[in-house]
Amino acid sequence: MRDLSKPQVMDRPRKSTQNSKAQEAGRKWVEQLEKQLEAATSQFDEALATLPVPHRRVERWKYTPVNGWWRAIGKRAQITAKQAGCEPCPIPGLDAYRLVFVNGEFDAEASDLPVYPGIVCSPLSLVPQTDQAPRGSNSLEQEDWFAALNGKFAKEGLFLRIGDGISLDRPLLVHHHSTGEGCAAFLRHDIEIGVNAEIKLIHWSTASQPSRGVVNISTKATVGSNGRFQLDKVQDEEGHIQHMAFEEIQQAQDSRVDVYTMTIRGQWVRNDASFRLDGKGAHAELNGIYLPDNTEFVDNHTTVDHRAAHCTSSEHYKGILYGKSTGVFNGKVFVRPDAQQTNAYQQNANILVSDQATMNAKPELEIYADDVKCSHGCTIGQFDEEALFYAQSRGVGVDAAKAMLVHAFIDEILDGVAVHEVRLEVNHRLAEKHQWTEWSDHLE
Amino acid sequence: MAYDGKDKVLEEVTGKAYEFGFTTEIESDKAPAGLSEDIIRLISAKKEEPDWLLQWRLEAFAVWQTMEEPDWPHLNYEKPDYQAISYYAAPKQKKQLNSLDEVDPELRRTMDKLGISMEEQKRLSGVAVDFVMDSVSVATSFKDKLAELGIIFCSMSEAVKEHPELVRRHLGTVVPTRDNFFSALNSAVFTDGSFCYIPKGVRCPMELSTYFRINESGTGQFERTLVVADEGSYVSYLEGCTAPQRDENQLHAAVVELVALDEAEIKYSTVQNWYPGDAEGKGGVYNFVTKRGICHRRSKISWTQVETGSAVTWKYPSCILKGDHSVGEFYSVAVTNNAQQADTGTKMIHLGKHTHSTIISKGISAGNSHNSYRGLVQIMPSASNARNFSQCDSLLMTDTSGAHTFPYIEVKNPTAQVEHEATTSKIGEDQLFYCLQRGIDAEQAISLIVNGYAKEVLNQLPMEFAVEAQKLLSISLEGSVG
Amino acid sequence: MLKIKELQASIGEAQILKGLNLTINPGEVHAIMGPNGSGKSTLASVLAGREDYEVNGGGVQFNGEDLLEMDATERARSGLFLAFQYPVEIPGVSNINFMRAAVNGKREHQGLEPIKGKEFLDMVKEKAKLVELDGRLRNRSVNEGFSGGEKKRNEIFQMAMLEPNLAILDETDSGLDIDALRIVSEGVNAMRSPERSFLVITHYQRLLEYIVPDFVHVLVDGRIVRSGGKELALELEEKGYDWIKEDAVA
Repeated sequence: MRDLSKPQVMDRPRKSTQNSKAQEAGRKWVEQLEKQLEAATSQFDEALATLPVPHRRVERWKYTPVNGWWRAIGKRAQITAKQAGCEPCPIPGLDAYRLVFVNGEFDAEASDLPVYPGIVCSPLSLVPQTDQAPRGSNSLEQEDWFAALNGKFAKEGLFLRIGDGISLDRPLLVHHHSTGEGCAAFLRHDIEIGVNAEIKLIHWSTASQPSRGVVNISTKATVGSNGRFQLDKVQDEEGHIQHMAFEEIQQAQDSRVDVYTMTIRGQWVRNDASFRLDGKGAHAELNGIYLPDNTEFVDNHTTVDHRAAHCTSSEHYKGILYGKSTGVFNGKVFVRPDAQQTNAYQQNANILVSDQATMNAKPELEIYADDVKCSHGCTIGQFDEEALFYAQSRGVGVDAAKAMLVHAFIDEILDGVAVHEVRLEVNHRLAEKHQWTEWSDHLE
Repeated sequence: MAYDGKDKVLEEVTGKAYEFGFTTEIESDKAPAGLSEDIIRLISAKKEEPDWLLQWRLEAFAVWQTMEEPDWPHLNYEKPDYQAISYYAAPKQKKQLNSLDEVDPELRRTMDKLGISMEEQKRLSGVAVDFVMDSVSVATSFKDKLAELGIIFCSMSEAVKEHPELVRRHLGTVVPTRDNFFSALNSAVFTDGSFCYIPKGVRCPMELSTYFRINESGTGQFERTLVVADEGSYVSYLEGCTAPQRDENQLHAAVVELVALDEAEIKYSTVQNWYPGDAEGKGGVYNFVTKRGICHRRSKISWTQVETGSAVTWKYPSCILKGDHSVGEFYSVAVTNNAQQADTGTKMIHLGKHTHSTIISKGISAGNSHNSYRGLVQIMPSASNARNFSQCDSLLMTDTSGAHTFPYIEVKNPTAQVEHEATTSKIGEDQLFYCLQRGIDAEQAISLIVNGYAKEVLNQLPMEFAVEAQKLLSISLEGSVG
Repeated sequence: MLKIKELQASIGEAQILKGLNLTINPGEVHAIMGPNGSGKSTLASVLAGREDYEVNGGGVQFNGEDLLEMDATERARSGLFLAFQYPVEIPGVSNINFMRAAVNGKREHQGLEPIKGKEFLDMVKEKAKLVELDGRLRNRSVNEGFSGGEKKRNEIFQMAMLEPNLAILDETDSGLDIDALRIVSEGVNAMRSPERSFLVITHYQRLLEYIVPDFVHVLVDGRIVRSGGKELALELEEKGYDWIKEDAVA
């Protein structure tokens, strides 16, 4: 019998829908990995054997094909950024501290770590596991096979502690570069931001052509009371990288977190951002843009879990889909019984440019408190033909007119990016990818 | 039905337990509990069915045995023991009835209690009633009048005998037996239901309606409804449910199939008020229904539902927009109170060009209940210039209830325009106080506000139903705000 | 008609009314003025029975009965009307049906049969004329999509329909242009009678040029600190509230 004194929260994991083929593929792949990489811990072995390996019948993976993951893994190249011909800082004119990783390994030579009072910042591999945030405490790691995989294999990443009241004077850039064939890179970022502390973090992933492999990045951040965390996340990977990123962010009272996820290029990208608003008055801001082309696949999954009263969240994802690309947006807003006076907003807007592009959207609300204001909206459509024609009739070329409309569409998001140089560079790279005339030159 | 204005409805709000909770004692012809090929052969034999139908049932049974009960809905209930259910119960009616006078007096009294006495229905021009008691239709009125126009409106078993070619051509074409666990079960064991055929170019002059009830204790009810609107025809079909009070859970797994041929229009309205269980959630009907329509060129199917009953509801009236320029609509109000759970919504599958769909869903959660909207809008590559607009609102009456929205949107054509909006909010304290200050008491104020909130949907109902639906909304929410 | 004695009320932690005294006799128009935050709207809410406020001292008699014992509906049915500062929107409920429910609620209280359709519609027509509320607004959902002026006119229309003994106008002039203000005031003036009293709450003297009060009271920090005739309003307009505040402190 259900306990009826409180609303029954039904986020219980559904019956695990294991599929024997997927299970077998996953098991074999883990075996391969074990030959190439030294595991960080054995504590996830059981989870990896029992959690369902994602396939289409697993609700969270309904729209995300995973076949590409089971490709052969080779010995990864021990290579520096310099050898790979990769610019340590991909953002021109950016004045920032820097951690550079190549194929999942830390590149000390290319990095520039902050030495700053009240701040501990180092590669994760230099921090004893006992000092790291415990593995497996992360709920995704208990529920998701790929997250558990990260728990088992990730040894490297960013370790960051910002003391109470401290704010770092410059942004911190984490740059990961993939190169070569059959490389599997696991990164784990372990971040704690103290009370009243502040940090701007840029996470930039690149890959050189040709490259083939998988990248699995897990970021766990806790933000103290009244703390502020701004994360600009950019994915711009050439080649054939399967890129999976997990963010699990916990917010204390009155904290504010802004995450911008911008996917410029990527054969296969899945972002899984999960926010927990634990303290009263916390605010989470999640925004993203994706502009896949050709056969690219971009998937943004978000969960905002309102667990305390008076919290607010605002979510805005926008996508333009070209070629034969596929986009997925799955946003979940969860309001727990005690999270009264929650105000949650979610919006997902998409434009399909080509007749072979596909968009799947699933904006969800799951609400167990009554004094709340929640809304979500989702639109899928095409460019406004009228506006296009109007611009053309005023003598603007088709390409320029389209670029103009693209910017009208995505600038709303880009305007909020924390670091100005990041915004400029994202703009520049998008223009390069889609061969737009540098639009801003025309109108400014 | 005597009705003079909204106020009368509102007066009745106070102090009502489930008012349709009574049991009619009629001797039943009941099969032993459990499901096997033998039982299916028994059902088929009792109904004197042709062999093709028996084979069809057996196939469905074979498929059903390989299937699992769905686990994905946002529902939490004890799964029924399908072997403890009796799959056939027919009131002992010796012969075909020609007039209402021949109906068992006990049955007539039941109808009277439900407020749908046949005499009244008959007088109320424009409503023909095919009354289904448990599984077998016992009386059909207005038949002759409809027959003049060539409209067929009869029980499914009669249709199988009288119009086998029509039934065989369309049965299972919209909801294939293997579609889902419950539709497979229904296909194997359905005992009766309604069949309706509107010939080419005919506008059915009256609302066709069926009242369903679950009667026999421990009897599952497996209705099968098939409505075929031939080219250029129009029909409005009403379905309403009330069920007697029970201690054990009762299973209801109906299948409704609608076929709208070129330029036809079908309007299908439901008021669902099965027994919801007591305040703790004990008893109550499990309502697992598959409803789907297929739209051919320039046709239209419109589903309107007011769901207030059942302990558990699992229901997604859907449209397959196959023909170019076809239109699908879904208007729904779902109210859950006490321990009720509902997972309901629609699927709009756009295949044809210039197909349009509209979804308006209004959920109201009170007590400790859970109310979920689940919907799919799918625009296939062939569906150029398709449009969808969805609006899903949830109203929360208490802090122990839940309101959830799970829309799935899949678009594979760039000319599509899909818009989805959803909001969740609490019943406004300010609105309530404003009403109180004008001398309107709390119960009545809630009723006003809720009926206003659901108006967009209620407006879609035929007049007689709109009144009943308003009454139901008020009764269902009675005492829900402290 | 209304006797307020040493009324004290709070919301949450904040004590808003700190011992307010006021007597209104039949047929009188009283104006309450005061700076922002002095407790004007609180007074209106407490009298109308809004539950957010806690009365923690004093008492209110209305037509000889204990007003504070009644819930909001009973107060309304006994003849107390509040014109809201921010009239509330109720989507899907037509103004007409809303009023019918309210009128019948009052009639039930008086032991009368529900009003007949024709009689009701005639009454609506007659009362709507008072505030120039056209048919379109009458049939639309309550206050939904109304302009600020239309909402206030609708409040006065409702007042006319319910024919209260005591009408409290809570900042009815806020946000009104001069035309709307004139219409609203004329509606109110048409309803003045020896049996009916008004309590006009406002921040500005402007409204009182149209609805001329018998008495003006100044509310500061939860108490009435000065009372006078209509000339007091002019004085306030000229000098502001500061001199009174200083007086009050001294």
